[in-house]
Amino acid sequence: MKTRDVFWDFEPALEVLWYVLAALSTLVFLYGVARPVVKYGRGQRYGLPPRRELPGRVRDALRILLSHVTVKRRDAYAGWAHAGIFYGFVVLFIGTVILAINTDLTEPFFGWRFFEGDFYLGYSIVLDVLGLALLAGVVLMMVRRGVLRPRKLDYDRPDREAETPERRVYRIGDWVFVGILLVLVVTGYVLEGVRIAMDQPGYDEWSPAGWVAAQAFGGVGDGALHAMRHTLWWFHGLLAIGFVAAIPYTKAAHMLTSFVSLVLRDPQAGKRLRAIPPERAAEPAGYGSLGDFGAVHLLHLDACTKCGKCHEACPALATGKPLSPRDVVLELREQANAAMEEIGIGGVLGVLMRRDAPSGGRFAQPVIGGDGVRADTVWSCMQCNACVEACPVGIEQAPIINQLRRRLVEEGELPANLQATLQTIHKSGNSFGERARKRGRWTEELDFEVKDARKESVDVLWFVGDYASFDPRSQKVTRSLARLFRAADVDFGILYDGERNSGNDVRRAGEEGLFEALAEQNVAVLEECDFNRIVTSDPHSLNTLRNEYPELGAGYEVLHHTALLLELIEAGRLPLDGGLSYTVTYHDPCYLGRHNGGYDAPRQILRALGCTLVEMPRNRDNSFCCGAGGGRIWIPDEPGTERPSENRIHEAVSLGELDYFVVSCPKDVTMYEDAIKTSGNAERIELRELTELMEEAV
Amino acid sequence: MKIVVPVKQVAVLDEEFEMLEGRVDPDAIEWELNEWDDFSVEAALQLREAAGDGEVVVVSVGDEEAEEGLRACLAKGADRAQRIWEDSLEGADPLAVARVLAAAVERESPDLVLCGVQSSDGVHGATGVALAAHLGLPRVAVVKALDYDAGSRSATVERELEGGLVELLKVELPALLTIQTGINEPRYANLRAIKQAKEKPLEELGLSELGLDSDALGAAAGSRVRSMAPPEAGGGAEMLNGSPEAVAERIATIVKERLSG
Amino acid sequence: MSGVLVVAESRRGELREVSLELVGAALQLKDQAGGPVAVAVIGADTFGAAGIDEIITVATPTEHFEAHVHAAALEALIERQQPSVVLLGHTIDSLGFGPAVAAKLGLGFASDVTALAWDGGPIATRGGYGGKVEVELEFPGKDTVLLMLRAGAFDPAEATGAPEAQAVEVDAAPRTEHVGFREVEAGDVDITKAEFLLSVGRGIEDKDALPQFEELAEKMGATLSVSRPLVDAGWATNARQVGQSGKTVKPKVYLALGISGAVQHLAGMQNADTIIAVNTDPEAPIFRVAHYGAVADLFDVADELAEQF
Repeated sequence: MKTRDVFWDFEPALEVLWYVLAALSTLVFLYGVARPVVKYGRGQRYGLPPRRELPGRVRDALRILLSHVTVKRRDAYAGWAHAGIFYGFVVLFIGTVILAINTDLTEPFFGWRFFEGDFYLGYSIVLDVLGLALLAGVVLMMVRRGVLRPRKLDYDRPDREAETPERRVYRIGDWVFVGILLVLVVTGYVLEGVRIAMDQPGYDEWSPAGWVAAQAFGGVGDGALHAMRHTLWWFHGLLAIGFVAAIPYTKAAHMLTSFVSLVLRDPQAGKRLRAIPPERAAEPAGYGSLGDFGAVHLLHLDACTKCGKCHEACPALATGKPLSPRDVVLELREQANAAMEEIGIGGVLGVLMRRDAPSGGRFAQPVIGGDGVRADTVWSCMQCNACVEACPVGIEQAPIINQLRRRLVEEGELPANLQATLQTIHKSGNSFGERARKRGRWTEELDFEVKDARKESVDVLWFVGDYASFDPRSQKVTRSLARLFRAADVDFGILYDGERNSGNDVRRAGEEGLFEALAEQNVAVLEECDFNRIVTSDPHSLNTLRNEYPELGAGYEVLHHTALLLELIEAGRLPLDGGLSYTVTYHDPCYLGRHNGGYDAPRQILRALGCTLVEMPRNRDNSFCCGAGGGRIWIPDEPGTERPSENRIHEAVSLGELDYFVVSCPKDVTMYEDAIKTSGNAERIELRELTELMEEAV
Repeated sequence: MKIVVPVKQVAVLDEEFEMLEGRVDPDAIEWELNEWDDFSVEAALQLREAAGDGEVVVVSVGDEEAEEGLRACLAKGADRAQRIWEDSLEGADPLAVARVLAAAVERESPDLVLCGVQSSDGVHGATGVALAAHLGLPRVAVVKALDYDAGSRSATVERELEGGLVELLKVELPALLTIQTGINEPRYANLRAIKQAKEKPLEELGLSELGLDSDALGAAAGSRVRSMAPPEAGGGAEMLNGSPEAVAERIATIVKERLSG
Repeated sequence: MSGVLVVAESRRGELREVSLELVGAALQLKDQAGGPVAVAVIGADTFGAAGIDEIITVATPTEHFEAHVHAAALEALIERQQPSVVLLGHTIDSLGFGPAVAAKLGLGFASDVTALAWDGGPIATRGGYGGKVEVELEFPGKDTVLLMLRAGAFDPAEATGAPEAQAVEVDAAPRTEHVGFREVEAGDVDITKAEFLLSVGRGIEDKDALPQFEELAEKMGATLSVSRPLVDAGWATNARQVGQSGKTVKPKVYLALGISGAVQHLAGMQNADTIIAVNTDPEAPIFRVAHYGAVADLFDVADELAEQF
């Protein structure tokens, strides 16, 4: 009969022992799952998706999981290795469950044994092959960790001088983890080999790896095989149930937390920050202590696998600032776990049995300060969303940092320049401190009138933005755009002094109150106007107008000027007068590209202009932030360090001979004009905004 | 301990403005809290925080525009605010303002009164010291550092003198100090706090509640505006145009010429 | 009421120059004020200047300036002299007692006065709205007017011989206790003696930009000075500060980079022989007092200037 006995030759007492141990391990596992659930319950019910969305979300999460698309992204090696481990482990796990169902359920209770015959043969080969996949994956990961040593696995914290004990634990712990997996797989095969050598079942082609292993035991006597088999069985078995029991307590927990994280995450994380919920209106804003965190964010802290993708993508880290999104998450996780230790097993069980655990303790202590997260770490962030974009499991690092900033602003702990700029914006409605009536001054040099959208109805309302209105270099671009609109007969108008700073960066700097005030003012003005669509030359304004203003009751169709220009080209309203055969590179602005998916329109325009586009290595969703976002344009960088914009220029220059560095955001214009000079590349490359190239071609 | 901080909402005149009937066009004016008052309010809040308890009261002589500045002070942590106004106070000079403030401050019997050295629009530098005279309090003007232990009878202050000299003084409380910029780092009043500060008490007072009438005011005033006009153009600067290189060349020429002559 | 009473100012035994400027202003008014020009020297040695009619010395119980002692002394002197006009310098010491005396005695009062005239009584000119307008003040119904004159705005009288000093006893008690003096900077630089000042302000934006300008100043043969915001931020010490609460300077050349020209700063340098200002804001007030101006980025200009020297 084609089958195998699970408890071959076991005395009943041993079988019973096995079941007792299995039950214990299950209890330990269940407690391990219950404890973090209690932990998440300490947070706020904030940002949880409505129940009706769950089926769709689970489906999407499964799709991401099964295709491994996020794991493979930008790291095919890790992607494939992990796929091997994942599928190998899952299949082997399911295989064990199937066997248990047969042995412990159907056979004893219903007399139905299906674990035999062809089913068994199919089962055997699938598990053997997937086991090899698991083995291959584990070995590849060990090679990666030990030999290739990518930088994202360095585990060094940028905000600490020396290695902290937790990091040493991570390093060792991760090795132990892959080590145990390796031992499990290998002992599994060796055990199979011994079994085959002992039992000689005869259908070896269905257990190829096991058959190979069995060859090693060719000359070994039955007695020895018997002893080996028992030893290996118990060793492998105990290790296995021990491993499963330990899942929630070790790195393996990500099997559960990462999936749930993918299900519950906010698809608009970073694009649309969450307003302060009305029930918290009287509370201080943002995250001060762990108890302030949204429950989903507490879950995110546990979902982190330390893969390092966000660590690698972060422009702050790349330029020597004390910020790594990974390390913020891990630091907060360490604090949350310490808080749970305080509560202890009794506390957890108490909560589960409906008795309240003692409140306060470390859940009520500030996460920033002392030995915890540093305030300057929080202020180093450019809110560029590279971390959120890179994370394979949907962790919302940038929104968490934003919440931390909200509390810091509330407490007045913000860099002096940022404070001064926020006060300026509050007073004058723009970050330049200029009188509102000067907003329209850039139009004076045009030889035509620009309509006042507050007084006349227009087709397209152009929300210009602070930098495009006031900064002399950007004003040139703004005038170019106005002339192009005019040439294409676009019926457009601006708000003149009715326009205020859109509030995108104010919000990202953590000043919710000021954001609300600015947005309310802008919406009030917009509501009085008559227009079909809004176009903006500023991606930051685009982001908030499109994604965040709807929550305040203002849902408009908002385009970026590149999208509108492309429309005009394709409609033939802007005839391009001969190609410009420049060789250029294009920098995707964070808020147009990564946040809003606007990668293609600028590229199509460049193609239509006849330019040759040479992509920088970090392009599209992997674009490298210029350093202006999150309010950082208002905070000077440490001198002596390379600024993100300089880093980017070096990347561009290393592409070879280029005519122009092309941008489509006014802040990029400012940052890169400066960086080209300060990095000494003024002779090698020039900056053009896309509009300026277009005007040349028209 | 109780600290009273008189504050002023100052007028910021646009670079381009017009004169209307001998006075500045009000449309060209924006209002903000006097920069010096950020520092005196911060100093008061820090003293209260160090003491563990106490009360900080801000008071201002001003029309509705002053309310925003007072709310910002409340948002930063002041406990109470008072706004004193009557139309007859329009254009009041520092001595008149000091007289009115004295009536309000006296009712509070503070341990310490902190004023700014001067206001950025009037730049008189007089209101604080005049107020001290009316209150009969000892005073130190232009304080750049303040050291006070809660419960102590005197404070040690540093008085900033011209040219980098500093005088250390001791003064017994109750006293009045005029605070110079740079003494501390004023905290930020975020907008949520300003909105929430609407719950804090802001009392509006007229002259009669303070036991004053317009005659008393007239007698206390030190001056009257006779005329007001933009300053004489005075030739104006000769503007150097062109690239930074061209500008630098010309500056170099001018400098070398003037120094050799 | 007639005549002018000038209150001289001294510090640590040395007469301050503003005292001579006050005498100069007093002499302007002498005829119209119809009376003697008396100079009070409180707690210091007498001095001489051309045109003074009387010198009154007042002994004080304290060695150094004490605001309340000075206030009491001045009140007694006003009682004694019954002047039409009392002149003080608009200085840090005077800020401590001038307004107090005016308030207590109900005098006419104006501070930071930049020009004087007479029309039945004194007419004082000062700034308004942060110096953006010029205001003329009058003092109807005030027999005595106390005016605090801006340092450097009036021509000084000549320091020559003077009449015998009369000593006057005054009952004045201090209400503060002098503990000591402290030099904030170890006196390595005296910007008032420099011929050429390179002055930087908020426009340099960052503390770490200072070394660049220190180097530039050295190259150009200038002494570096700063405006107040830099001192407040801790980037430079008060010894290099030009302005109302810093030093008043009159160099041959004053090159201001990134200084907007707040009235408190202008008060300290407006009488320089040649003022050159560079600022990105075409409407910066400094362009009103400058002789030459450029609307440009100060870093760009600074880089180019380094090439020129």
